[in-house]
Amino acid sequence: MTGHHRARWSRFVALAPWLAVALAACSGEPNSIFGAHSQFGHDVDLLTRRLLYLGIAVFVLVETLLVFAIFKFRKHEGNTAARQTHGNTTLEITWTFIPAVILAFIAIPSVQTIFRTQGEAPAGALTIQVIGHQWWWEFRYPEYNITTANEVYVPVGRAVNFELRTNDVLHSFWIPQVSGKRDLISNHTNHLWFTPDSVGAYNGFCAEFCGASHANMRFKVFAVSAGQFAEYVAHQQTGPVFPLALDTTKAAKGAKGAPAAAPATVPPTPAQLATGTWPLDQLPRWVVPATPIPDGLADTMPADAARGAAIFKTAPCIACHTVQGVSAGIIGPNLTHVGSRTTIASGLYPNDHAHLVAWIKNAPEMKPGSAMMALGQSAMGAGGLTDQQIADIAAYLSALK
Amino acid sequence: MASIVQPPSVVRHQARYEKGLLSWLATTDHKRIGQLYLYTSLVWFLVGGLEALFIRSQLWSPNGRLVTAETYNQLFTMHGTTMVFLVIMPFSAAFFNFLIPLQIGARDVAFPRLNAFSYWVFLLGGVFMNVSWLLHAAPDAGWFGYAPLTTKAYSPGLNIDFWVLGLQILGVSSLAAAFNFITTIINLRAPGMSFMRMPIFTWMSFVTQFLLALSFPIITVAVTFLMFDRFYGTNFYTIAAGADPLLWQHLFWLFGHPEVYILILPAFGLVSEVLPVFSRKPLFGYNVMVYSGMLIAFLGFGVWAHHMFAVGMGPVADSAFSVMTMLIAIPTGVKIFNWLGTLWGGTLRFTTAMKFGIALIALFTIGGISGVMHASPPSDLQQTDSYFIVAHFHYVLFGGSMMGLFAGMYFYYPKITGRMMSETLGTVHFWLTFIGMNLTFFPMHFLGLTGMPRRTWTYDANQGWEFNNRLATVGAFMIGAATLLFVYNWFKSMRSGAPAGNDPWGGATLEWSIPSPPPDYNFAEIPTVTSRTPLWHGDPGPGPATYPAPFTPVQPRTAAQLGITMPTPTVKPLIAAMGLGVAFTGVISHKNLFLILAGAAIFVGTLYNWLLTPLEPEHH
Repeated sequence: MTGHHRARWSRFVALAPWLAVALAACSGEPNSIFGAHSQFGHDVDLLTRRLLYLGIAVFVLVETLLVFAIFKFRKHEGNTAARQTHGNTTLEITWTFIPAVILAFIAIPSVQTIFRTQGEAPAGALTIQVIGHQWWWEFRYPEYNITTANEVYVPVGRAVNFELRTNDVLHSFWIPQVSGKRDLISNHTNHLWFTPDSVGAYNGFCAEFCGASHANMRFKVFAVSAGQFAEYVAHQQTGPVFPLALDTTKAAKGAKGAPAAAPATVPPTPAQLATGTWPLDQLPRWVVPATPIPDGLADTMPADAARGAAIFKTAPCIACHTVQGVSAGIIGPNLTHVGSRTTIASGLYPNDHAHLVAWIKNAPEMKPGSAMMALGQSAMGAGGLTDQQIADIAAYLSALK
Repeated sequence: MASIVQPPSVVRHQARYEKGLLSWLATTDHKRIGQLYLYTSLVWFLVGGLEALFIRSQLWSPNGRLVTAETYNQLFTMHGTTMVFLVIMPFSAAFFNFLIPLQIGARDVAFPRLNAFSYWVFLLGGVFMNVSWLLHAAPDAGWFGYAPLTTKAYSPGLNIDFWVLGLQILGVSSLAAAFNFITTIINLRAPGMSFMRMPIFTWMSFVTQFLLALSFPIITVAVTFLMFDRFYGTNFYTIAAGADPLLWQHLFWLFGHPEVYILILPAFGLVSEVLPVFSRKPLFGYNVMVYSGMLIAFLGFGVWAHHMFAVGMGPVADSAFSVMTMLIAIPTGVKIFNWLGTLWGGTLRFTTAMKFGIALIALFTIGGISGVMHASPPSDLQQTDSYFIVAHFHYVLFGGSMMGLFAGMYFYYPKITGRMMSETLGTVHFWLTFIGMNLTFFPMHFLGLTGMPRRTWTYDANQGWEFNNRLATVGAFMIGAATLLFVYNWFKSMRSGAPAGNDPWGGATLEWSIPSPPPDYNFAEIPTVTSRTPLWHGDPGPGPATYPAPFTPVQPRTAAQLGITMPTPTVKPLIAAMGLGVAFTGVISHKNLFLILAGAAIFVGTLYNWLLTPLEPEHH
């Protein structure tokens, strides 16, 4: 072998320390599994690191021996006759026995951690029912009688017991920074519990392939202080904050005549505004979706929430969506407090006017395979909603804090 | 040996089958069938590779829109299905066919016509599965096809029908081949070749055939249930009727894990042939290599549920499968160390085959280590279904299986074609593949550890995943370029390569004692074997000064001249396979009863006719 080759091989060996450094760097990454923002997370993290370091040690040993053999025993003038060996019982027993010992060092803590993390959830744990749908997440808090979607709030310091079920195919519930994943299995109820130990906003993913929009089945997790959580619960338990007692006939009429005079609305009280939700300006960069809007769906029409409220009541929306006191659809996400969420379409888009409009116009275009049909006239023809109607509905939904 | 003179009519009849298209369609020669497997797999390898390049291009940027979500799901499903069933398995089958009879000193396999049938059915299965692309209905539920996504309620299209029926067809091929090779190895070994004198490749192949014979019935059952659900309305996986979807997972992985060893053991065998020849030493610890192969295969049936830690089987099952899985690391580690022991103290010569062989040791080790990491369930729950797993099994299947198969292809090219393959192009191919492979798959470890789920059509910006995805895409295109170079080298060297002679590398085993390419009868006289390395006579010596070893060209005599009776070429296996094809086409064409019955009639009729025709021309 030439010196040129040697350089290449030594670079290969140099991979090992780089590997360790790179892995250390992983823990600072947005969705790193080394984040360990729960108590079990620390146990798992410790085990994973032990596996990693032992693995790197074995890697370095084997590759060093291999590279050494490649140089030392290559054929050259000083090495023309191979030493004939057929085996060596002592050696072979050694390299059977040593890996066995190493594995024992892995197996014992593995089994211990399995039993520690898979036991029963402690009494007093907060039960959150997770129901998978193609392709969004439904979250229910039976203790508080709350139903929400795609964004889940958990209190720091209290054990959270997720009760996992699916409405259709298999999904898997995964928050990399907090805990390992657990599958949602049809005709089964699964459990996953942990105690969040630090305030934070995290990304969640579906980790089991579930069809067309598997990649788009995301969710957000907000681990908040006990106080903020109580505030969140109190807010979610009330009906929609948007005042419903307005003259919808007038509003609907206004939609036709332009410019529409916005009907008088009752301003929400400060108590109603205290939603307990995660402040938008404090979201980490990677928790804010950046999916681009498909061409031709963007829109910036002036809109009116009150008109939107009236249209919503008679639009196809109510067949699938619940807004407490307004509609009772259960096929799609509950929209009672949709305005207080940071994202729409299971974490795919930011929850703002432009994205809501695009979504209502043509959901399947925004999210492949979406069960929500395109409602805009561009897709539906004359039977669809007009751009103005859609803008108004979007304004209404944004107002449902 | 008594000389038998063929009547002129038989000689004329046989001449038609010696050259041209018909000679390939009617062949029962294991060497030709081996080459058919090889070239067919090569085509699928290019197809599967192209699918991979589409996948990697789609993932070049966050929120990529090169292909639609539906197309992406078809691409990764077909990439996986193709690489497993249409590339690595049949590449291995090419070597089973070509090598096993040569290594054990036999004239052919035990059932030459069944062997041809296996190949034609395999070809049919591959074509059947890929025709779906033309109908925009390629399978799209992953190579693992988890129920209930694959049931009619959630996948009403033809996509999964193609997958289900394609797998059934391929299963027929694999099972027929497995029984054929088991019979061949048990019955047709040359005098003196005891089991513990068998070449290690034949040993690993032998073990693999048992894995095939024992695991394919399981997937057949699983897929048959699904087929009945989809075509005849049964409820094995119907959620609305209360089915338990874990039935599929258990059946699939009970097949799927042994399948992993079906994919890797033949490559282990090939590398175990290559390393000793270019180290000028016998394989270190032959016995232990054999036993560890058997142990890996045996334990391989007891670890399937480590693919299912996330389904929540409970702590006891998790622990049991975890420990069983870790146990497999021991015999596997032994193999790695024994290969190192083979290199140790040798006089190593770095031919392209040797480079690929050594690369298998280096890269499979990485896949093995990450494998141990997810043998531990708490750790696995953070890794499974993430890109960390994608990295892991590509180190096993590309770094392991493909590197071993490439080593085998360079090593046996002279035996197959009679010419040497260009070492210069081979070296470029090796380095491009080696660097490209690491560039593609190593960053995927980091993607997984930073939370990127697998089987995702696209990913969002700001997740920190862009850089590693770009590296992977660049690496994938390097592998693509390398593969084209390999194909070019393969066909160019067939014309311009130096003639190889019987034994260009200074090999040890029987296949190197006969001409390259071997005559149809392989051995003019069946050899008597007295050791594991019959050509080395106890000492490998320094090997040829240059490759190929100098030789005197000899025109081998024909079977007729030697009075050796060979099986009569026949197209009946092909026609029987086509009957099967017609029947399956009938099933997918809305259960067209006419086609189903016609296909079945062709199949049964041809089989009946074939079984009543003697294998060899009648002696006069």
